[in-house]
Amino acid sequence: MNFAPDTSIDIASAVNRATAPSSAPKLKVEKLNFYYGDNHALKNINFEIPEKRVTAMIGPSGCGKSTLLRIFNRMYQLYPGQRAEGKILFDGGDLLSKDLDSTVVRSRIGMVFQKPTPFPMSIYDNIAFGVKLHESLSKSQMDERVEWCLRKAAIWEETKDRLHTSALGMSGGQQQRLCIARTIAVRPEVILLDEPTSALDPISTSKIEDLIDELKQEFTIVIVTHNMQQAARCADITSFFYLGELIEVGASNEIFTNPREARTRDYITGRFG
Amino acid sequence: MAASISGTEANTALIAAHKPTGRISDPIFVGLLWASGIFVLVLLGFIIAMLFEGGLPALREFGISFVWSTMWNPVTERFGAGVMVYGTVLSAVIAVIVALPLSFGIAFFLTEIAPGRLRRPIGVAIQLLAAIPSIIYGMWGFFVVVPLIAAYVQPPLIEWLGPIPLIGALFQGPPLGAGMLTAGLILALMILPFITAMFVEVLESVPPMLKESAYGVGATTYEVYRNVSVPYGRTAMVGAVMLGLGRALGETMAVTFVIGNATRMSASLFAPGATIASTIANEFPEASIGSLKLQALLQLGFILFVISFIVLALSRLLVRSKLKS
Repeated sequence: MNFAPDTSIDIASAVNRATAPSSAPKLKVEKLNFYYGDNHALKNINFEIPEKRVTAMIGPSGCGKSTLLRIFNRMYQLYPGQRAEGKILFDGGDLLSKDLDSTVVRSRIGMVFQKPTPFPMSIYDNIAFGVKLHESLSKSQMDERVEWCLRKAAIWEETKDRLHTSALGMSGGQQQRLCIARTIAVRPEVILLDEPTSALDPISTSKIEDLIDELKQEFTIVIVTHNMQQAARCADITSFFYLGELIEVGASNEIFTNPREARTRDYITGRFG
Repeated sequence: MAASISGTEANTALIAAHKPTGRISDPIFVGLLWASGIFVLVLLGFIIAMLFEGGLPALREFGISFVWSTMWNPVTERFGAGVMVYGTVLSAVIAVIVALPLSFGIAFFLTEIAPGRLRRPIGVAIQLLAAIPSIIYGMWGFFVVVPLIAAYVQPPLIEWLGPIPLIGALFQGPPLGAGMLTAGLILALMILPFITAMFVEVLESVPPMLKESAYGVGATTYEVYRNVSVPYGRTAMVGAVMLGLGRALGETMAVTFVIGNATRMSASLFAPGATIASTIANEFPEASIGSLKLQALLQLGFILFVISFIVLALSRLLVRSKLKS
């Protein structure tokens, strides 16, 4: 295995402990370095994300966890001056390769953001928008798809009578579930969640967390969170980042009850962060 | 010591210390604010009343048909606003039709595509374009644009589009250069910086996260622009276009130079025409006080005011209905 010298962690066994039977890595990060201009934001990251599991990334602000998430769907490429070195293997192919089209990567690796970001259109069109970019469906197929993903996102009952009204009129929690539905609608393999509940109330948060539990049956999920209880509740695997380095990764119950690294323990017990 | 004074005593002391300035100056300040607010209303009311009252005799003389009559003959003292209203609206509409796609392109280029180094120079250049006085646009239009259009734009257009039925009528006549089309083009250049600057502001206000979510489902740059950025700022953009239209309607000097100033109705875009503003500028010096002509010109001014008002009201209405849906 190819891990950084200071973090010799056996992911396979961690996964085994967390959720047998073990799962093949969906994403495999190899010697990844990332730069915002001259700022070295991620340092030699080696990391595996198992398929159909929830992997949480925790750490104090500025530790690089969101950065890593944004590399997975190549969002960083929208901004000049940001560059990544190394490899991210996705089903055997290198995600960072120039030959791969960003729009294809983003349709296979979807993302949900910190704040709900409904597009300024109807609920139905919010979902149809992404689907239309990649597939040409008939009206009835599209109706089916919309219902399917709204049901998956546990928001069908609330929206079925108002599909053609503006998405901007929904509550924050509903908007965020719509955004999850919109991400699911293009049938990605991986869903990236960037602090998906940080702008939501506790009830909406718990709905989203239940949803994450449901979704991992079908999707590989990576979640960045500042809420350690959330990581402990939702994630099978938890990784701890600090100052651009991956400090520790393992089964969530291990990380939260018996961390190997002193820095991890200090962070989860609230001594810094 | 604070501890030795009771709470209420301390409060009274505090109030007493602040009373004089607050009591006297604040009502004055509030009164001044009221006065400035009322001033706007009074000013507007006076201008409308003056224009209307000044032009009333012309309206009495020619009746309501003054608004659409195409007769403008100072010799026989028969006046009608039809030609100028047509010219005003048509030249402004041409201007918006030409300026709108350009503004979209420039604004999107500046906000999304242009590298950081290029953004500032182009942005400043646009502001400078907006700062050029209209008389300079007029001179430049007269000496540079009019001959160019007469030599290179009108002859091929007359040849290609002229024979086509219906729209051919728009491209008839001798290639004079000066005319409705040229006026519209100059106006387009003049409103371009305004519309562009407002579009840039609107596009910059689109939350990056919203754009990223559209990119996040696999949209291309164009799809994000078309489906997310523009709809997000649509209301503000409608407002921007309407403001541009309003400016084009009232523009005087540049138009007077290049429109040809003919008070005859003509279907062709190449024929010389007139706008309300250009007619007033041209004929005001020749209108003696108390003459029917002066009254007709004042009435023209009132009509221009009404057209501008309608445009403004329309933009408000559009913006509000978009907000509701």
